[in-house]
Amino acid sequence: MRTAVRWAAVLVVLAGCSDVHLPEAQQVASDFAAGDPVTRCDLLTEAAVRAVEHEEPTGCPVALEELPLGAGGVVSAQVWGQEAQVQLTDDTLFLSRTADGWRVAAAGCEASGQGRYDCLVEGS
Amino acid sequence: MSGVRRFVRENSLSLGFGLLFLLSLAGQALAGAAQMNEDRQAEGLEPVSLVQYLTSSSFAVDVMENWQSEYLQFALYVFATVWLVQRGSPESKELHAVGTESDEEQRVGSHAREDSPPWVRAGGWRTTLFSRSLGLLFGGLFLLTWAASSVAGWAAYNVEQLQSHADPVSWVAYLGEADFWNRTFQNWQSEMLAVGSMAVFAVYLRQRGSPESKPVGASHHDTGATG
Repeated sequence: MRTAVRWAAVLVVLAGCSDVHLPEAQQVASDFAAGDPVTRCDLLTEAAVRAVEHEEPTGCPVALEELPLGAGGVVSAQVWGQEAQVQLTDDTLFLSRTADGWRVAAAGCEASGQGRYDCLVEGS
Repeated sequence: MSGVRRFVRENSLSLGFGLLFLLSLAGQALAGAAQMNEDRQAEGLEPVSLVQYLTSSSFAVDVMENWQSEYLQFALYVFATVWLVQRGSPESKELHAVGTESDEEQRVGSHAREDSPPWVRAGGWRTTLFSRSLGLLFGGLFLLTWAASSVAGWAAYNVEQLQSHADPVSWVAYLGEADFWNRTFQNWQSEMLAVGSMAVFAVYLRQRGSPESKPVGASHHDTGATG
């Protein structure tokens, strides 16, 4: 039985379902939630910043100031490969692992049914 | 002939296919990493390194879903050809030999010879197990690789879920997803087609010198003959 569990664990790790990066993703989500607009913009993926600035040409911090993004604590998190989902008390964030570490790819996300989310901030 | 050259010559089938396997796997790794990075670039995501791709669920599921179907093909072929025959096919045994055959024909029990494998001469459960070891091995490898395919497919599916801003699903929920069964059946159908095609085409066509074919001059009605 112990061997079976060990093999299952190896399979899960090999399949990329590793939680090695979980603390780092949680920390970035936490920093994002607690940060001011400038900090939040620094923690967005390039694609998300581009999408935000496309909507608000005056700049990312100004745009984020106007959006009702969550600022609560981390409730739960999951990492799958280079992607992560972090549930805050008042928001759901989606993160991607980049060359600079974890960055927020989508924020201000609200469940829209069948497990999908509509997000106020997201790169395309 | 030196020892090494003789070893290579006498094992050229396994060595040749082992080398082709490694080259193909390397090709899949390079092409798969390039495709993943094209997709990630299109979605505004950072590219991944080759090592990151090789340890990704995407690569794992692409490899495992093919392995499981190959082992299923051989497991079914080994088991099914005990009972199913094809008139005129070198892939089939003689029509009258359907079933597990007698101890004499299978050289077991009192009919075991001096050069028979030790577990054949041992009798009892060892002989029973050894008598089915080929099918059991392929069946076991199929189940293992299918399970690995389901875990890797689950992880890859959840990566896609997160990329499209959706909740990840549990492994049990993934087993009910169309993604898992589409990956499974698309591989199974091709294996069944390959086996069926081989069984039928080999009735009427020949490959001179190949043990997978009948001798060139053999009748279309000859069953079980190999050349």
